[in-house]
Amino acid sequence: MAGHSDSSSSEKKSSEAMNDLPIFSAENMQNNMKVIYYSRTFMSIIGGVIAGILGFTSLMGFVFYFLVMAITSFGLIAKAKFSVHSYFDSWNRIILDGFMGGLMSFVLFWTFAYDIVHIF
Amino acid sequence: MAEDLVLDTAIRDWVLIPLSVVMVLIGILRYFVSKLMRSFQVPDPKIVKEGQVIVRARNLRAAANFIPPKSFRSRRVYFSNEENGLLFVPKGQAQNAQAQMFSDPNMAMDMMKKNLSMIIPQTLTFAWVNFFFSGFVAAKIPFPLTQRFRSMLQNGIDLSTVDVSYVSSRSWYFLNLFGLRGLFSLILGEENATDDTQRMMQMSGFGFDPSKSLGAEKDGLDIVQHEWALPKFEHRAEAVLKKLVS
Repeated sequence: MAGHSDSSSSEKKSSEAMNDLPIFSAENMQNNMKVIYYSRTFMSIIGGVIAGILGFTSLMGFVFYFLVMAITSFGLIAKAKFSVHSYFDSWNRIILDGFMGGLMSFVLFWTFAYDIVHIF
Repeated sequence: MAEDLVLDTAIRDWVLIPLSVVMVLIGILRYFVSKLMRSFQVPDPKIVKEGQVIVRARNLRAAANFIPPKSFRSRRVYFSNEENGLLFVPKGQAQNAQAQMFSDPNMAMDMMKKNLSMIIPQTLTFAWVNFFFSGFVAAKIPFPLTQRFRSMLQNGIDLSTVDVSYVSSRSWYFLNLFGLRGLFSLILGEENATDDTQRMMQMSGFGFDPSKSLGAEKDGLDIVQHEWALPKFEHRAEAVLKKLVS
């Protein structure tokens, strides 16, 4: 996914890990947030299409969504070389941010693909 | 599946896809139109000055622990001094600025224009969908919902035995409305504000900020306890050097 790695490569260090008092460069933090948002949206769209094509219904579909989100989180953490605190100010950001927004896109593309492949 | 309705491929070709395509195109159109219509507002120098003072005060508060206590105190006095401190605003003046924001015709017009450009395409598209695409089953959502959603999702379809998962095109429209937000943010660059509520919050925050936040910054600055970080740095440097040498 060229788009995915492209945007991730611009994650910047947003805090000096050496200080006892962490300072965060606001601009870099915002950029990192944007990267997370884009990655999640992209993955939820792709995940929606896959779920629709494979014919997941109801619970299986949502489980698949959580799976996709978990994979995205893991990918982001791996890209941040597992030192989350030097890029973000809390764990919650990288794990939970953009969850709900991605859900709507996921459902839309899931419905779309499911209908096209299975009903029509 | 209880009953598996088989729907006409014509529905897929002529309803689902055109509706989605139209919504994407309208979103792109709205983005460009709002870019063109954005009237460039000459920034009021007083407002800009106040904004910059706030930024300076905020930086001072954030980095207070990196400068020696005496210079921090002298900076703080410069800001919150009663007579000519930059952040001290007498009560009467603060109220004035707010009233001015409200009655400023330019800003009101701007907000109105932005709101309109958001609402009109949505209303038009909704009316179009209702007129052309009502009265038949348009799509099947892959997960089951309770009976209470029936009236909301199936309002063109008058059979009550059809599974709630089979929805009318109106609900396809709403699904698109929410789901395409993510897509827009991907293809149109940064936040292009297809979300009304976010936009309105941004807009309303901007106008009233200068008058209220001066007082807030002053209070924040007064509260800060200065704790000079230099001694800690010296310890840290010592620890690091020791590690290097040994």
